[in-house]
Amino acid sequence: MDKTKIITTSCSHDCGGRCMLKVHVHDGKIVRMETDDGEEPQFRACLRGRAYRQRVYSSDRLRFPLKRVGPRGEGQFEKISWDEALDAVARELIRVRDTYGNASILLLGGSGSQAALHSAGAVERLLAKFDGYTRTWGTPSFEGALFASMATYGTMMTGNAREDLLHSQLIIMWGWNPAVTIWDTNTAFTLVKAKEKGIKIISIDPRLTESTAVFATEWIPIRPGTDTAMFVAMAYVIIKRGFQNQQFLDKYTVGFDKFRDYVMGVEDGISKTPEWAEKITGVPRATIERLAIEYATSKPAALIPGWGPARGARGEQFSRAACTVAAITGNIGVEGGYAGGFMRAFHSRQMGMPRGARNPVEEGTPPRPNSLYRLRGAAKPTSARIHSEKIYDAILRGKAGGYPCDPRLAYIVASNFLCSHPNTNRGIEAFKSLEFIVVHEQRMTPTAKFADILLPVNTFMEREDVISPWLGSPYYLYMDKAIDSMYESKSDRDICDELALRLGITDYREGRTDGEWLKIIAERTGDIPDFEDFKKRGVVKLKVDKLFVAFKEQIEDPVGHPFPTLSGKIEIYCEHLAEMDNPSIPPVAKYLQAPEGYGDALSQKYPLQLLTTHHKPATHTTMEKIPWLDEVEPRRVWINTKDAETRGICDGDGVLIFNDRGKVLMRADVTERIMPGVVNIGHGGWFDVDELGVDRGGCSNTLTSSEHSPGGAWSTNTVLVEVRRI
Amino acid sequence: MQLGFYIDQSRCTGCYTCTVACKDWHDIPAGPVNWRWVVTVEDGKYPKVFVAFLSLSCLHCAEPSCMSVCPVDAISKRQEDGIVVVDQEACLGKEACGQCKEACPYVAPQFSADDGAKIQMCHLCVDRWQEGKKPVCVEACPMWALDAGPLEELEAKYGKVKEVEGFKFVEKNRPSVVLKAREPELLGYP
Repeated sequence: MDKTKIITTSCSHDCGGRCMLKVHVHDGKIVRMETDDGEEPQFRACLRGRAYRQRVYSSDRLRFPLKRVGPRGEGQFEKISWDEALDAVARELIRVRDTYGNASILLLGGSGSQAALHSAGAVERLLAKFDGYTRTWGTPSFEGALFASMATYGTMMTGNAREDLLHSQLIIMWGWNPAVTIWDTNTAFTLVKAKEKGIKIISIDPRLTESTAVFATEWIPIRPGTDTAMFVAMAYVIIKRGFQNQQFLDKYTVGFDKFRDYVMGVEDGISKTPEWAEKITGVPRATIERLAIEYATSKPAALIPGWGPARGARGEQFSRAACTVAAITGNIGVEGGYAGGFMRAFHSRQMGMPRGARNPVEEGTPPRPNSLYRLRGAAKPTSARIHSEKIYDAILRGKAGGYPCDPRLAYIVASNFLCSHPNTNRGIEAFKSLEFIVVHEQRMTPTAKFADILLPVNTFMEREDVISPWLGSPYYLYMDKAIDSMYESKSDRDICDELALRLGITDYREGRTDGEWLKIIAERTGDIPDFEDFKKRGVVKLKVDKLFVAFKEQIEDPVGHPFPTLSGKIEIYCEHLAEMDNPSIPPVAKYLQAPEGYGDALSQKYPLQLLTTHHKPATHTTMEKIPWLDEVEPRRVWINTKDAETRGICDGDGVLIFNDRGKVLMRADVTERIMPGVVNIGHGGWFDVDELGVDRGGCSNTLTSSEHSPGGAWSTNTVLVEVRRI
Repeated sequence: MQLGFYIDQSRCTGCYTCTVACKDWHDIPAGPVNWRWVVTVEDGKYPKVFVAFLSLSCLHCAEPSCMSVCPVDAISKRQEDGIVVVDQEACLGKEACGQCKEACPYVAPQFSADDGAKIQMCHLCVDRWQEGKKPVCVEACPMWALDAGPLEELEAKYGKVKEVEGFKFVEKNRPSVVLKAREPELLGYP
């Protein structure tokens, strides 16, 4: 018998935390886990990482390449060899390219592995070398926040180091629940330290979240999608009382006067008073007034606008308005302040492969309408891409529907796409209409069931990689291999390498082994001088002299360091937006009513606003169906006691949540922790439709809308439903 | 000497990492057996609502009721550190007996759903103490809300709070624990 070995790695799924897992391996099997017990800061793993052993050994792991034998989507497969499987995929890729052109090859990836080497990027590189493919734009998590960040600041590097929160006088968590949506490991721990230091923390959220319960001293519930109205009314109070930081506005910003004209009613005759906002938001006018004064007079104050509220119709306005009030109060570029925006603080997340071959399908294409194409630093704004919420519509309607291509083949990698994109029922219709679907997967997901060829992929426990946290805390983790690849599974890169040869591509790995690539990737960061030492220790924790504060240079030396916007200043009024001349993305932040938003006529039929927030045990759908996780917090729909009473619903009852797009059956969690008129389902789920068309797998996207905003903000928190006891 | 736990309710976000880490370390399958579990306390009416979380386990009482009711001495208290340990061989099982579970004010003794399931519960990671490590839940907590050690040392370090929302100190058992409370103010519109 072998002695137990301890291997250091990290989760690499689509989660903002990157935490150390110390994996005990005995006789080639993972037997148990520990976490970081080294020098501070420790990066301790959450429940999802600690349960990972059950995912590696779950009974639904894919063991062999599979070929569909029944109708598509029914999940009937037969085992085939790797050669047969790869030959079939190569044949279809070549056929579709030769028949329809490369643009008809659709790559659908994301929300799965996000390590530097093994990710959807493995297939991107392959298809780029195969003369191109069509990909998506509109990242589910943050596209609204990113758009606002670029329009206002010209960059996504707008965050401060976590520990800088300890310099604040006031912290406002706005739609932000980092105790569940891990926003870099130790963010929640920093907030508890802030609370213990006596810093006042206020939470604005339709739900009394874990973060609100533990960190905040005040909870201000607000109707979903109306946050911008509250920001605007706060600006009204601040301006009316002359509390704006005029010196800051004069020196560092453009367009405050135009925003002021909108706020004070000069532009449209409507003064955006707290009374006005109370009717929209449900927040008492006195609370709005008090919060505005508190934010303007606590110096410095950190207002942190979460990505969740920006993940709704007109979500760009939420993030733009948050940036605007941060500018009005001069909380940008100072210790203890916070600029909002995308909120990346350090460059560690940029660790990755050097840019590979360009995608020929996108070469020479014009910029996408409504894109900030004159700015650099976000994703390429080409019109050749399809918004990720519109994929199903694009598959079904193609060029005739105004899309850049007629998709025929879907290549799905690192994504349980059907469960994580809106309007799952339409997704099924779309997937059934395609000519060919190949899926790389680890488990038999609801999406995998739609594959024609299904290829088994290993987990991060079965390969080596490197990784860094989402928002750029200054550290890197080496992901050592704990066990050999299970069954016949391979890495995405091994699959692509073997496929490449069948497609006539001989340089997929560009002459280097994965191990050599890892060294290059690590060294390119400039922070890891000794790769072998990094590999041995499993982590590099950088010692930073001074905590990172976004825009400190711009504030201290505006002439030498202009903001990376077109004007060189913070754009409260954005000329680039003005050129678009689109009332849904105006040049100054505005509260805009949206389809299915609060006050929409559809609320006569579907009176409840649905939120689809992150589900604690799930990591989107990656950690779904893990027994240790399923049991700690089973999926339930949160409904306020009052709304439950009027519908005769008791805690634990089975209820149907429905709208015109679909029906979901789950148990009710009757609670005082959500405001009346709002219900909440954790996003993700495991789509499982019965003969009556009812999803029993808790898939919130059965209900969500695919009407994204022009700037790209997803609409999945802007949904109307009704709930009925069954 | 008596070992015990420190539980900081003011830091606990109810993340269940302790629960899952415990199940992984001790190889306990999903199901009714939880050596460590998390209680959610919810009180008040919208919008003035109080919510707190509390991570609990066997608290290795000075005078364990489970031990005194056990008819076959399957539960004992170690002389050297006060850890309450169980002898599954001796246990009569939940159907034949099950008195320990009834007697414990915290329902710490655990039984699986299997027929004839024998008692099991937290032994404060007695295996880890021998290696100089704290219990796996303590080293797992991402909020540093748990600690374990000699009760006197814990009291000296963290104070002597013995009751918080969701937890009552039972005088006759004297659980080996100190706590820190979530301030019981109500959140919501003032």
